[in-house]
Amino acid sequence: MDAGLLAQHVMNGLMLGMMYSLVAVGFTLFFGVLDVIKFSHGDVLMVGAFAALAAYTALAGQALSPWLMLLAILAAAVVAMGLLGMAIAQAFVLPLRTAPALNTLLITLMLGTALREAVRLFYPQGANPKPFPALLPKASIDMGQFNLRADNAIMFAAGILSIVALQLFLKHTKLGLAIRAVAQDEETARTMGINFTMVVLITFGIGSALAAFAGVMNGLYYNEINFGMGLLLGVIGFSAAIVGGLGSIYGAILGGFLFAALQTIGAVAVPFASAYKDVFAFGVVILIMTIKPTGLIREKISERV
Amino acid sequence: MSAKLEITGVYTAYDKADVLEDVSLVAEPGRITCLLGSNGSGKTTLIRSILGLTRPRAGSIVFDGKDITRLRTHKIVKAGIACIPEGRKVFPKLTVEENLRLGAYAEASASVIRTRLESTFEQFPRLGERRQQIAGTMSGGEQAMVSIGRGLMRAPKLLLIDEPSLGLSPRFVTENFGIIRDINARGITVFLVEQNVRQTLAVAHYGYVLSKGRVVAQGPTAELAARDEVREAYFG
Ligand SMILES: Nc1ncnc2c1ncn2[C@@H]1O[C@H](COP(=O)(O)OP(=O)(O)OP(=O)(O)O)[C@@H](O)[C@H]1O
Ligand SMILES: [Mg+2]
Repeated sequence: MDAGLLAQHVMNGLMLGMMYSLVAVGFTLFFGVLDVIKFSHGDVLMVGAFAALAAYTALAGQALSPWLMLLAILAAAVVAMGLLGMAIAQAFVLPLRTAPALNTLLITLMLGTALREAVRLFYPQGANPKPFPALLPKASIDMGQFNLRADNAIMFAAGILSIVALQLFLKHTKLGLAIRAVAQDEETARTMGINFTMVVLITFGIGSALAAFAGVMNGLYYNEINFGMGLLLGVIGFSAAIVGGLGSIYGAILGGFLFAALQTIGAVAVPFASAYKDVFAFGVVILIMTIKPTGLIREKISERV
Repeated sequence: MSAKLEITGVYTAYDKADVLEDVSLVAEPGRITCLLGSNGSGKTTLIRSILGLTRPRAGSIVFDGKDITRLRTHKIVKAGIACIPEGRKVFPKLTVEENLRLGAYAEASASVIRTRLESTFEQFPRLGERRQQIAGTMSGGEQAMVSIGRGLMRAPKLLLIDEPSLGLSPRFVTENFGIIRDINARGITVFLVEQNVRQTLAVAHYGYVLSKGRVVAQGPTAELAARDEVREAYFG
């Protein structure tokens, strides 16, 4: 294989890894504050992508510059999913707090299906794949045999930026400190005067906004979205969070990029077809989980949030 | 600064059986009121009831003239109550400073928080030296300091203290009682749960004895020391 093609694969892997990481971080945040798995997370990502597309359709007549348009639809998706995440937490997750965690998993699994079906049935021609507008500059930098596309570079940088911003928020703000305290000891956190319900809602809002961001990124990257896109992304994000140790943000990011790397290796190294890349990646994840059942970064030594 | 706590006819249960039965007591403003009782008599449960962590099934809890019985925990804390909980409960993965800052979470002003932080470091120089240390890696005695400092960061009107000297060396225990006296000297009402009968009765003004979830004796600590119920609660 020539260097150019290899670089192409690496770039693709980095983009996928970024999206997976953003999804995995959400799983980790939710598990941090409430010890639950919210399985509708991937479908929230999908709804976020459709919210962005709907905003685009609504604004199409406004003659906005592509940048402004992109910011507008991204803001629409992020805000809408932030609110949806809070609503889901309030309506389906918090009330089940005293029930076994399995019930939350089940109810959010069903909720995800409901979201998927709702988009399929009620979004205009929702059953068909939808073209997603290419709003980022199409320029590319020629690097010998490899073209570095500006849109990819921008998306990757934006992903990094959002994760750094999340870390800064968690480490250096009062609310971030409250989220970390709740993740460690809910009861004691409440006796510090922390409004537990509010912290949970905000955390679910943030995680869901990140999913919306990943959904828009996905649309921009493939120039297409569909109602089923959240299913695989949800499962991959969940696996990434688990492989990373379900509890540390760094673990989730590590897991996200690891999964993308495995897919890329699968695509490059499995001889006949790249169709086997997911089988390969999930196979390795299963193997890792058998060898290290608690994930790569143990919760005991890492910070949970 | 300080305020009165009035507990009237409180019943609290975890599942079905009542752990507290018809408990009534008062913590007078500016005083140290202690609660004695053997293991499992319901002392921690009473503190949990005051904080709204385990809600009373019946009865009322009034603090500073306000009924807090049904308030959510963070609202109860906002009313001016802080707690140094049983088992210290420091946030093990946060730094000493972050733990202390959480103590003042209900305080809005950043400069007030900074001032309190500095005075906490003055009172506990050891914490000042180790402000960036992860609390879970500190020794038991140091964690007790973090827990006490964190409770004081709230600058509460009422401080609930649940067995602060459990697991500490005798020297630390004596130091702890000195600290409690200091806290009270600042005008903070103290409600103290302790197993260390002699030292507790020496520091407190008024005391109650809990046995199997009921108040079986009460009185000024000077008198209480001689009562049979106190002996029974601990040695009977
Ligand atoms: N979370 C809980 N669920 C069920 N029962 C509990 C719970 N916490 C305490 N209990 C029970 O309530 C009773 C009183 O417990 P509590 O912790 O209030 O006692 P205590 O007086 O603080 O004891 P100690 O001196 O050992 O701290 C005990 O019988 C205990 O088993
Ligand atoms: Mg106790």
